[in-house]
Amino acid sequence: MSVKTVNGAGQDFGTEHEDRNNSASLYDVAVIGGGVIGSATARELSRYQLKICVLEKELDVCNGVSGRNTGLLHSGILYEKNMLRTECSMEGNAEFEQVAEELDVPFKRCGKLIVGFGDEERKRLEKLYQRGLENNVPGIRIIDHDEIKRLEPNADGDFAIYVPSAGILCPFTYTIALAENAVKNGVEYHFDSEVIGITREKGEKEEEGRWRVETKSGTYYARWVINCAGLYSYKIAEMLGFGPYYPNRVKGEYEILDKKAGAFLSLPIYPTPNEYGAFDIHVTPTVDGNVLVGPSIEKIGNNVDYSVTQKMIDHLTENGSKVFGYVKREFFIRNYVGVFPTIEDPETGEEIDFQIDADDQVPNAVSLTCITSPGLTSALPLARRVVRKIRQKEELAENGSFDPTRKGIVRFAEQDIETQRQLIKEDPDYGEIYCRCECVTKAEIKQAIHNPLGVSTVSGIKYRTRATMGRCQGGYCETRLTASIQEELGKKREEVLLNKNGAWMFTGEVK
Amino acid sequence: MEKRDVVIIGGGPAGLAAAVELKKKGIEDILIIEREKQPGGILRQCIHDGFGLTRFGETLSGPEYAQRFIDQAAQYHVEMICNATVIDLSSDRVVTYDSREGLVQIQAKAVILTMGCRERTRGALAIPGTRPSGIYNAGVAQSYMNLFNTMVGREILIMGSGDIGLIMARRFTLEGAHVKGVFEVLPYPSGLPRNIEQCLNDYNIPLYLSHSVVDIKGEERIEGVTVVQVDENMKPVPGTEKEFSCDTLVLSVGLIPENELSIAAGVELDGRTKGAFVDENYQTSTEGIFAAGNVLHVHDLVDFVSLEAEALADGVVRYLNGEAQKDCEIEVVPDRNIGHVIPQRVSGKRDFQVSMRVRRPMGRCRITLRQGENTVVSKVVPKAIPAEMIQFKVPSDKINSGEKIEVLVNEQ
Amino acid sequence: MNSRKFVCIICPNSCEIEASVEDGKIQAISGNKCKKGEEYVVQELTDPRRTISSSVLIEGSFLPLCSVRLTKPVPKKEIFRVMEEINKVHLKAPVSAGDVVIQDVCGLGSDVIVTKNMERV
Repeated sequence: MSVKTVNGAGQDFGTEHEDRNNSASLYDVAVIGGGVIGSATARELSRYQLKICVLEKELDVCNGVSGRNTGLLHSGILYEKNMLRTECSMEGNAEFEQVAEELDVPFKRCGKLIVGFGDEERKRLEKLYQRGLENNVPGIRIIDHDEIKRLEPNADGDFAIYVPSAGILCPFTYTIALAENAVKNGVEYHFDSEVIGITREKGEKEEEGRWRVETKSGTYYARWVINCAGLYSYKIAEMLGFGPYYPNRVKGEYEILDKKAGAFLSLPIYPTPNEYGAFDIHVTPTVDGNVLVGPSIEKIGNNVDYSVTQKMIDHLTENGSKVFGYVKREFFIRNYVGVFPTIEDPETGEEIDFQIDADDQVPNAVSLTCITSPGLTSALPLARRVVRKIRQKEELAENGSFDPTRKGIVRFAEQDIETQRQLIKEDPDYGEIYCRCECVTKAEIKQAIHNPLGVSTVSGIKYRTRATMGRCQGGYCETRLTASIQEELGKKREEVLLNKNGAWMFTGEVK
Repeated sequence: MEKRDVVIIGGGPAGLAAAVELKKKGIEDILIIEREKQPGGILRQCIHDGFGLTRFGETLSGPEYAQRFIDQAAQYHVEMICNATVIDLSSDRVVTYDSREGLVQIQAKAVILTMGCRERTRGALAIPGTRPSGIYNAGVAQSYMNLFNTMVGREILIMGSGDIGLIMARRFTLEGAHVKGVFEVLPYPSGLPRNIEQCLNDYNIPLYLSHSVVDIKGEERIEGVTVVQVDENMKPVPGTEKEFSCDTLVLSVGLIPENELSIAAGVELDGRTKGAFVDENYQTSTEGIFAAGNVLHVHDLVDFVSLEAEALADGVVRYLNGEAQKDCEIEVVPDRNIGHVIPQRVSGKRDFQVSMRVRRPMGRCRITLRQGENTVVSKVVPKAIPAEMIQFKVPSDKINSGEKIEVLVNEQ
Repeated sequence: MNSRKFVCIICPNSCEIEASVEDGKIQAISGNKCKKGEEYVVQELTDPRRTISSSVLIEGSFLPLCSVRLTKPVPKKEIFRVMEEINKVHLKAPVSAGDVVIQDVCGLGSDVIVTKNMERV
């Protein structure tokens, strides 16, 4: 047996998820990355009789690109017809009612407006509109001022492209739902498992080879490796033998507005793109009723930088208020930053399309890179393309017990009064409000703490329930959440983490 | 649907005082709805002393001050349901609350809003930097330390010199943490001078006035902040950036009345107080809904909260007796040196209590209420600072028209 | 003779007091609204004292801590010695506000008392 060291091998890391002769420890597929792409891929693969694991470097899914975007279901108008991202986003857009139904995730097909003023913007919008027609984006039309006002009184423009097929969804809920559905169908998630080395171990025959994947939590073996590593996808691609890729990441800062402002926005409003096709600050309602302002756009090379800057806060406020009058300080509740895994062509300097790499030089590996926007919309279409790549190499037997559905935590706040009464009767914990801003009950918090993925961070509970996401930002409920984590999981104070290792909440007891 | 004469939302100092006073005035059918497991509101965690000098003539800790009202409420058989959260209030005074016993709706003749306030957060201020753990609002840190026996950190920086932040600086120090400094963006402290003295100066904790936190560092736990000096227009002075390391940043940057239920009931809010517009009876713009305490405007002393809630009881009794409540047509309008004034409308027929805060520190100044050229009342105070509320009685005999009453302050 | 400034901490008025002091004695004083201000300045000059509040562990109640305070001010320099004594206290519910948990703490003439009613649950 020959061992080809690609990267980082030779160091001793933790437990070996043992050994070659023990077939139980060998996965058919190891998916690297537990974002929306990795989770969608795992879920789609679980339709077949495969032993699958997801290796995620953070302590929860959706901690990278997937959780730091605009939550938009894209229509397919933004890119050229022949691009993979157009094909995937159109496909993902069209099927989302069914996906939302299966996975029990909130979703609104609210449409969106791209507004413009004056002749110059009119020309650019016409061009964009033509592309929409070429791409067969359903139902798009150019509308006048009066119709803009009828659709959304708080939008303004001389004219606009109305894109009725665009929608909004919650990236956290969606990714968690995909992951939970994958787990329900047999997939294993390994958190805190950053991949630090991948080695191909050849067998007697080609198909007997396997991948040795070293992570910070131990070593895993798999017949197939699927790279869905988001920001770090270019690195994993290189470890596997694809590439090289040249990241020039885009940093985008956002502002989140209070639901009080959200009451005045029914659909996303974009300004006309500039001459290079880039959009300035736009506003997007969230499916939960807040408003996202942003993103700003800043190329940051090979860096990952999640810090908010005064400069961009001012920029978001100034330019955001041009498209939506409620972008005001009194409605600010939080900022965040997204970093998008943009890859450039080294010769032209242009951003490349979604990449799906699979070739005979690198057997039994599929690598997804440059999955930036519209990745959220394209997650399941990309996952199906990964499955196809595998099926080109081997036959997959259907998993007869595959269940495409998953039920989320029943949200008290979203029920009618009779259902609320019934819920309290069945479980009195629904009678205790823990998060007052978002009206989240103790029952929901407890269900979130005992989530199917085994996530135990404060942020994990937040993303599963919306507790701490309101205007007081946990002022009321955070003490309750951290106490519940300790109580339900038997953790000490100093073991409670906000979102990652090192992000401790407490030093211990006072007395 | 269950019916009540009075439903009080919130069993903190305002709600308890209002209930006891109403009982004393002969109103029997009262229910307090409290979301915590025990009454007392924020006082439960304010274990420091200094409460009660105005109301009781002695200095008490927060829990003791609350206990006096809890005991009185028990003595007067005030009905109270705890561990129950009001989730909706309609403009026709249907109160909906969630509890382990079920979801309950009550039709009230009068509703008293005493929900208190919440803290302004980092997000509301949009403080730049990363989002690590270890950033706590002062009241949250106080709750962890004083109620949950949980220590949030060891190397502490405090942003904002509000009273809770100052009190927490001393608490952290007494419990063995190191408070490295307090940063205040204004050129004067936001908290009371006695708290600067006994919470900071006593423990040699430096107070940096005209300083702002402009960056937060740390990917996992907070590692430090960048602080910059600001000029008189609050603009950063280039070249004055300083780095401070810490494992915890405590924010004490202001309180906001908690009026989500008020909004649901159609109560109009005053942009200055962030609380309801009220008349001299403490009735809001929605008939039969009254407000007092920190939900109305943020107070510096709990003693004034209790007194305000007791004053509110008179208005509620009049309302329940069917006496005219819509006769408050005279606007009370503060000038630009005054941050806000309560009440915002009066009848001119009854004496009333006026509460206000100045916008900037002033020395000796004269406060005047006037209608056109007619002086209603005029009063000299030796000093006025934004941290301290100014209150006094206004006699109605000098109010002689329906014209608005202007409230003016002139430094002398 | 030198002039010193004080912020009186006795009540929320927070009087800013200016006092002329010679040989530790007040020659002239201004800024205090009441007599307590003068007493405070004398005390600050001779033997500055403070009361403190803290909490102690309690068993068998709805919360792990019970709040306590001193009944009388103690010399400022003794505060951390008093804290050490307070940190040793373990209570068992029930307790009532006013219960003495340490009598005459560190021999300083002040008691540590409970400030909260905490029933047994």
